[in-house]
Amino acid sequence: MTAAITPRERRRTSGFRAGPQPEGRPSLWRRIADASLPYQLLTFAVFAAAWELYAREWGGLLIPTFIETVEATAELLGSAELWQAMYVSNQALVLGFGIAVVVGVPSGIVLGRFRTLERFADVYLNILLVTPMAAIIPLLVMSVGFGLTSRVILVTIFSIVMVVVNSRAGVRQVDPSLIEMARSFGASERQIWSRILLPGALPAIMTGIRLGVGRAVTGMVLVELLMVSTAMGGLILEYRGLFKAPLLYGTIVIILAEALLLISVARWCERRLTRWAQTTTARSA
Amino acid sequence: MVRTQTDPLGSDDYRKERLMIEIRGLSKSFVGQDGGRVEALRDVDLDVGENEFLTVLGPSGCGKTTLLKAIAGLIPWQDGDILIDGTPVRGPGADRSMVFQNFALLPWATVLDNVAFGLRMRGVGRAEREERARSLIAMVGLSGFETKRPGELSGGMQQRVGIARALAVRPRVLLMDEPFGAVDEQTRRLLQEELLAIWEEHRLTVVFITHSMEEAVLLGDRVVLMSARPGRIAEIVPVPLQRPRSSDVSALERSGKYVEITAYLWDRLRDMHEEHRPATVAR
Repeated sequence: MTAAITPRERRRTSGFRAGPQPEGRPSLWRRIADASLPYQLLTFAVFAAAWELYAREWGGLLIPTFIETVEATAELLGSAELWQAMYVSNQALVLGFGIAVVVGVPSGIVLGRFRTLERFADVYLNILLVTPMAAIIPLLVMSVGFGLTSRVILVTIFSIVMVVVNSRAGVRQVDPSLIEMARSFGASERQIWSRILLPGALPAIMTGIRLGVGRAVTGMVLVELLMVSTAMGGLILEYRGLFKAPLLYGTIVIILAEALLLISVARWCERRLTRWAQTTTARSA
Repeated sequence: MVRTQTDPLGSDDYRKERLMIEIRGLSKSFVGQDGGRVEALRDVDLDVGENEFLTVLGPSGCGKTTLLKAIAGLIPWQDGDILIDGTPVRGPGADRSMVFQNFALLPWATVLDNVAFGLRMRGVGRAEREERARSLIAMVGLSGFETKRPGELSGGMQQRVGIARALAVRPRVLLMDEPFGAVDEQTRRLLQEELLAIWEEHRLTVVFITHSMEEAVLLGDRVVLMSARPGRIAEIVPVPLQRPRSSDVSALERSGKYVEITAYLWDRLRDMHEEHRPATVAR
């Protein structure tokens, strides 16, 4: 990129609207200021300090201080009981969410592609979206039992809506002229699915998976709390019964941490897989 | 490279040459938004000679895009026939490829994969399609951009990708639907010149839809003037400007013939707009 630049090349590299900027590495300060982590840490510190002060002044039996909670969390992380509970809970999470993705993504795509089908299915999706799950759990447990099955089903029911709705939206927002373009080059229906619809819907599908993970964790804990009382939910109930507030909060912190971790992993995958969507949206804004 | 025969002077000349596209009595209507039938095309007859550059001009709603999509085999029609080199059109085919107004590039794919897309759909192996795509990318002046994605390119560059993709499948007929309608004026002029240069060197049949009189005259051997409601061919205007034209477009645009034909086309188009004005008000 030095002496041998032809006028034509120069026009392309430095011209008006001539595409990508050269990727220089921004300074360290710039990168720290641009990252969101420092701001998150700052707000968290403020939050922790406020919690600590409030609990020390007005806290009672059920509100532990921030430091007590941190200590309890550390204690829990060292106990075999917690890891056993995590293992049991996460079986339901993995199976239930796996089913939600494997069933939800294809059904979402089919619903997005074929409008007539959607007319039939729309009402059920809405039902899934608005039903108060707490009301269903007892019925579910009564019909399926207290075992893994009912927990898996509940996690699936909780999370599948997000996956289906977002996959459907993703297919719908695929530019119809891309389908026409593919057809003009002689693409078969199968090629349209694999080369146009699926990649085009991928960003929205990944968003659905990320949102679904959050709901799946909620579902996992809820069913254990309300009915089955095993594993993580069981721990929460136990500590609540014994008024062990720090441990109760510690358990919740660990569940939160797991959910946040899973969501970050999902977000990371989303970014990796769909970089093109971010460049286009940033540009068309 | 340069045409050996005399310059095309009119539709009658093309009847004597080998025909690439024959359209006979094409009619197409569809149900409009208000429930009534809209006649998009009524009884369209058109011949396009081999290696002819035909431009189609008309007010919006005259069915010019419908005509192009019918030739591409993308839409069904009610009456009439379209023959490509004697073979009736029954759907999209390997002998035709299309360039779209909004580029229609895959935003997730690189320039190389976009250009190779048509070849991939036709089952061309990876090595061959990438080699062919690379040479087409070089032809439209995008070497060095193979790994970029469309979002990183300007509109003009995106349409170069669209043209390269259409040419990569080595079509006999290139169908262009207002390809330069979505780029800025300066880029459009550059693209017009480059398209002329590519066509002068490689010779293929082109049907080019446009709403610009200047563009229609600059590029076309003949200009098909269409009128709206129902869409039909109002007139076919020959463009007796000499070829090759890409070398000195500016001189061409100052020539008397160019100005005359452009002015004539505008007169006709304005009449069409006036014809429809009272009718629309009366409704």
